[in-house]
Amino acid sequence: MPIPVTIADDSALSRKNVRRAIPEDWDVSISEATNGQEAIDAVEAGLADILFLDLTMPVLDGFDVLRYVKSHHQKTIVIVISADIQPKSVELVNSLGAFRFLQKPLKAEELRETLHEVGLL
Amino acid sequence: MNQTLLSEDQRDALQEMMNISMGQAARSLAQLIDTQITLSIPTISEASPSDLAEIFSFGKVTWYARQSFLGQIKGEVLSLIGKNGCEALAELMDYDMPLTEVQTQELILELTNILSGACLSGLSSQLELKTNLNMPTLFNPSASEKSVYSWSTALLVEVTFSIESFSFNARVMICMEENSILTLKKSLDVLVG
Repeated sequence: MPIPVTIADDSALSRKNVRRAIPEDWDVSISEATNGQEAIDAVEAGLADILFLDLTMPVLDGFDVLRYVKSHHQKTIVIVISADIQPKSVELVNSLGAFRFLQKPLKAEELRETLHEVGLL
Repeated sequence: MNQTLLSEDQRDALQEMMNISMGQAARSLAQLIDTQITLSIPTISEASPSDLAEIFSFGKVTWYARQSFLGQIKGEVLSLIGKNGCEALAELMDYDMPLTEVQTQELILELTNILSGACLSGLSSQLELKTNLNMPTLFNPSASEKSVYSWSTALLVEVTFSIESFSFNARVMICMEENSILTLKKSLDVLVG
């Protein structure tokens, strides 16, 4: 069974970058969300065992999504991929239960290493 | 159709690039004031000559600075920084208020360096274009600096930095010659493609 993965980012380019960086040998079914609310909907619909999450998004931002996931879906693995690289943002992301924080622009090699580290590959 | 206008894909790509650049700018700013900054999603628009005239008419509430760049794309980055925001930032940075003229100038040039530096280094590194940034200078658009109007294309990047107690608007305008915008568009296509 492929693992349900959702890429949540308002930028089409950024979603494409994440898709390209996902290792080919990883058996996943990929859904996309273009804002925080859609990301939560995807989690609720069972489309996001793993959620790649941007922080700066319309409707609800990534921090709001993290808070929601933390209180309702603790089994969801969230990997934040963001340009907001302020130390305090990274701290907040970690305190809200994200597995990892990856800096944009995402590098395929870094994603692969991260998936290995958290035991997903 | 105007050759210099951005397509939807090109705009999305440029917006994402500016999001990354402004993330870097926010980190530098956050270090200066030791406070977390909330970033808005940057918006990109093409500024027409009449837009430019309007943009340059806010001298009472805005500081203007310019920084030129040379290389595969050339032009200049104009930074437009709200005066309110500057004062609030200065307080957070423990300047004695009110600021002297020299201190104000120092602060604006520092902010300009952060903003336009992040903006241009983002563009150059992600598009693999080579550019060099010159020193920033302050300018007063009402004092007949006609040259600011001479660029054929101006892309306006607007972002709002907010912290708990206040928010301030910063705009960065990337002004380029027609050849440069065509080079930029080509590089964006490669990235999107």
